[in-house]
Amino acid sequence: MQDGETRIEMPRIFLTAALGVSTCCFLAVAVKSDEISARAKKLHFSSIVVDTHDDTTQRFLDGKFDIGARHIDGSIDIPRMREGGLDAIFFSIWIPSKVTGQEAVRRALTQIAAVREQVSAHPKDLALATTASEVRAAQKRGKISALLAVEGGHMINSNLDVLRNFAGLGVRYMTLTHSGNDEWADSSTDTPAHNGLTDFGKDVVQEMNRLGIMVDISHVSDKTFYDALEVSKAPMIASHSSCRALCDAPRNMTDQMMKDLAAKGGVIQINYHVGFLSQEFRNAERANPEINKAIGEEVQKRCGDDEACQLLEGDRLTREYVERGKLPRVDWEKIVEHIDHAVKVAGADHVGLGSDFDGANMPYGMEDASRLPKITDALLKKGYSADDVKKILGENTLRVMAEAERVGRELSKQPRE
Amino acid sequence: MRRILVILCVSAGVTAGSFLSRTVSADGIAERARKLHFSSIVLDTHDDTTQRFFSKDFDLGKRNPDGHVDIPRMREGGMNAIFFSIWIDGRIMGPPAVEKALDQIDAVHENVLRYSKDVVFCRSAEEVRRAHAQGKIAALMGVEGGHMIGNDIRVLRMFGDLGVRYITLAHFYNDEWADSSTDKPAHNGLTDFGKDVVREMNRQGIMVDISHVSDKTFFDALEVSKAPLIASHSSCRALCNHPRDMSDDMIRALAAKGGVIQINYERSFIDQAYKDAYDKVSGGVVAATEKITKECADDADCIGRKSKDLQTQLEASGALPRVSWERIIDHIDHVVKLVGPDHVGLGSDFDGATMPDGMEDCSKLPKITEALMRKGYKDEDIRKILGENLLRVMEQTENASRELQAR
Repeated sequence: MQDGETRIEMPRIFLTAALGVSTCCFLAVAVKSDEISARAKKLHFSSIVVDTHDDTTQRFLDGKFDIGARHIDGSIDIPRMREGGLDAIFFSIWIPSKVTGQEAVRRALTQIAAVREQVSAHPKDLALATTASEVRAAQKRGKISALLAVEGGHMINSNLDVLRNFAGLGVRYMTLTHSGNDEWADSSTDTPAHNGLTDFGKDVVQEMNRLGIMVDISHVSDKTFYDALEVSKAPMIASHSSCRALCDAPRNMTDQMMKDLAAKGGVIQINYHVGFLSQEFRNAERANPEINKAIGEEVQKRCGDDEACQLLEGDRLTREYVERGKLPRVDWEKIVEHIDHAVKVAGADHVGLGSDFDGANMPYGMEDASRLPKITDALLKKGYSADDVKKILGENTLRVMAEAERVGRELSKQPRE
Repeated sequence: MRRILVILCVSAGVTAGSFLSRTVSADGIAERARKLHFSSIVLDTHDDTTQRFFSKDFDLGKRNPDGHVDIPRMREGGMNAIFFSIWIDGRIMGPPAVEKALDQIDAVHENVLRYSKDVVFCRSAEEVRRAHAQGKIAALMGVEGGHMIGNDIRVLRMFGDLGVRYITLAHFYNDEWADSSTDKPAHNGLTDFGKDVVREMNRQGIMVDISHVSDKTFFDALEVSKAPLIASHSSCRALCNHPRDMSDDMIRALAAKGGVIQINYERSFIDQAYKDAYDKVSGGVVAATEKITKECADDADCIGRKSKDLQTQLEASGALPRVSWERIIDHIDHVVKLVGPDHVGLGSDFDGATMPDGMEDCSKLPKITEALMRKGYKDEDIRKILGENLLRVMEQTENASRELQAR
């Protein structure tokens, strides 16, 4: 796309496919994962583990993917969620920024339907959740909560009626933009057009508050973030962003932004994408723009506009470049570094997990949801208290969700025009 | 209905006197009828009031000087369950149709929330009964025209999840997969995809509505559907030969599979003399509509204005005969004689049609109960016609859905 930033986000490529070449490394990691302490296992599997951002939805669209079966590609399915103790997952409703208007609305509806189909096809394992207490109730019954999130304000087509319908169908957060500006908010990876949020964009945030939908500021420009922070009556989330201090990508948050987000009760959910975790990887990408270009062209050749295919092939190709030594290898421990940095800057009450599984390029050792207990183990080894680990795994997100619901109820009591 | 010719009638002073004399009767029937009416679930399957939600001049909670439906008049007429119609012009298709339908669905939900003391949104027959027990008006939704699903089964499912409880397979024009009764046949009834749509509606527990569709589409849908069908707002062709009405054969076939015809009060659907006169002066509803649409270059406001002008003009010139509300009773009675009292109900088309004299708005509904009682109908049968028949079909549709989903 326009620059190195958008290549990362736009083709959303980067699924982790286990290639023959890399199997040995995975095995090594798997052996390592066996070293997870009994204490960590116990804590992890008794906690509510929430992931706020997964692009698995794209795989549902052709009606052939069965989330109940274990797959050799991708990062998410029920067997691997069970194995990794993932209890609640936000399925992202996403279409590229370039698709706008009424077509965007229709396609978003179709994706919501596709998520709901998977949930109704697996009633023993999955339950659609729309509130924090439903997530807790589902976990008690041994079910995985499926939640809905709209990744990009362009999907409401500047129409609050549409937003309310999305809420009615169970959407629990909306990302104000994706990688391009929409009609009322600037993105972090586009040329500023609105100086943050327009007046209508502020109305959108207020209506989201009223509906109890969380305001997600991942992807938005710094100015949009501050505008939203000022307007929103409920704490906000960054559903899948990491720390700019460790990796200087506009998609990540500065320390100051994290502090300001936290001051209003919000949470940053760390994204595992290698280009957001590792400065070295990012530098290599920028130093070798021809790699991104070649990957982009090859993906286009293999997939056309099929987004699910783009995800798989883009990741496959990127991993090939890493295997050939053309791009640096990034290991999963980087995730823990970002969590730890955010905790130091914003506090343990303001950090969570927003993997970007099935929508980004995962680091070695975090190929899929089954690897999640490693994060718990690593945090305990760092000396985190069990309470703080639980918060990071999911309680922080549930707190913001419950607070957004409370604010929604309050605002709904007020008379309307 | 022919929304194009929507006229929001204001009851004329002249007729008010005769209504008063009717309600004060000495034989006790009026009192018995009132008691029966106001203890029954009175369910209307088709109201175009949704369109008015977009007007600043309309307030559902207040008595409005025009139109046919608002909360005060629903209370007065004992109308305690209403299907708000989601409708847009049938020539708008694809994604624009989907979004416009969403706007209307939202408008219904917003109005229900705004008047939650009086109105509650319902998705099942049981919820309608519960609302009635609580003294609340049950609000439901029907999508009037298959074009609004944008040719996408998943959109249909989302309409279901948003609370839509019936979908009319086509409106005034053919859609991509079903022929309309007022358009030139293009699909010979339902296409294969159209049949899939019907099956999916069965699976989702959404009632299949065959008002507006061509006879062939009706018979195709009847064959495919696993649940009884409804005609949400159609009358009897035997009494008024209009393509929007149902022939006796169709009514028999519908009833044989457990369905219900909900009588439409539109003058040109219930009165042959009116329809003939209207056709004579306008060249027929299809021709008149086409002419106005062409003149207005598809501008909706212009179409509405011109249609209203045409109607006013025709009425003033005396070219159109008066039509009495009693014609509604004739149509109900015709269906009952044909297939019994289990297969007929009320589908007024309030706020979307031209009402006959004496049925100026929903406050007049108790007259129907009284008239049926005077005809010697049993209380039980009257209750069926007022709402129970439709609730039965809703329950059957819900049961069919559960069975299909269990497979």
